[in-house]
Amino acid sequence: MVFKILMNLLVSSILVLRNFLLLIFSPYKTMRKIAQEKDYWQLAVIISFVLIYFEIANKIRRFNYSTLLIFIVFLSFFISTVFFFYLLGKVYNKKEELKSFFITFSYSLLPTLVWFITNSIIYYVLPPPRTMSLQGKGFSILFFAFSLSLFVWKIILVYLSVRFSAKLSFYKIIFLMILYLCLFFPISIFLYQLKVFRVPFI
Amino acid sequence: MKAINTRLKQSLNRAFFVEPNDLGFWFLTSLFKKTTKPLKTMPFIIVIPTAFFIAFVVYLILGKWFIRLVSWLQYGF
Repeated sequence: MVFKILMNLLVSSILVLRNFLLLIFSPYKTMRKIAQEKDYWQLAVIISFVLIYFEIANKIRRFNYSTLLIFIVFLSFFISTVFFFYLLGKVYNKKEELKSFFITFSYSLLPTLVWFITNSIIYYVLPPPRTMSLQGKGFSILFFAFSLSLFVWKIILVYLSVRFSAKLSFYKIIFLMILYLCLFFPISIFLYQLKVFRVPFI
Repeated sequence: MKAINTRLKQSLNRAFFVEPNDLGFWFLTSLFKKTTKPLKTMPFIIVIPTAFFIAFVVYLILGKWFIRLVSWLQYGF
């Protein structure tokens, strides 16, 4: 039994890493394939990565709350996001499947996870604040461009997640995304004020 | 022959997994397809140079506030 679980986790971890690389090179085809996946272990692997990240980040920079509480808040936020798109998508398309939303949205967490992990490493190597020196300006441009690239990648992956899970058209997806931002951005700001999230987007 | 048919059927099912986007006007649909095509494969070839250009422009506009913004982002994990 334990052996079977370990084997499932190992295989799913390899699949997650493979899909992760493919999402960099061909996000459209890969996300379309992921939307047809039935392997819940991949979801478990990605969520475990997030928990491991919170644990490591808490060691680099002490959080105001326990890792477990921040993880529970993140998980509630993630589940609410999935249900938001699932329930509103169902208004337009009755045939959509909840599991497809969970798996695709978990993969759309990867750019955020990469940003947070890289930021933690940079924080340790080159702690802020940045200065107006030539190196400071150069690093700032580099860091901003890096963050912006990952943000665009994140938008592409979220769009594709909704596209392949809800099977909606462009206008409907944009409408749902604007509605999502109107509802969830104030909550993110509120969580930022409470210092649960230090940047109001995840 | 049967194997080829099955593979063809699978490829068609994959390709038509979702209906193609139609934005209502042919020129909008055509523009959308032209814009999104490079983002479907290897998006970073376009995204990274554009991000550097935008970062430089934002730096020129915001000046020292740009450095503060980056510092704030760096505290944000």
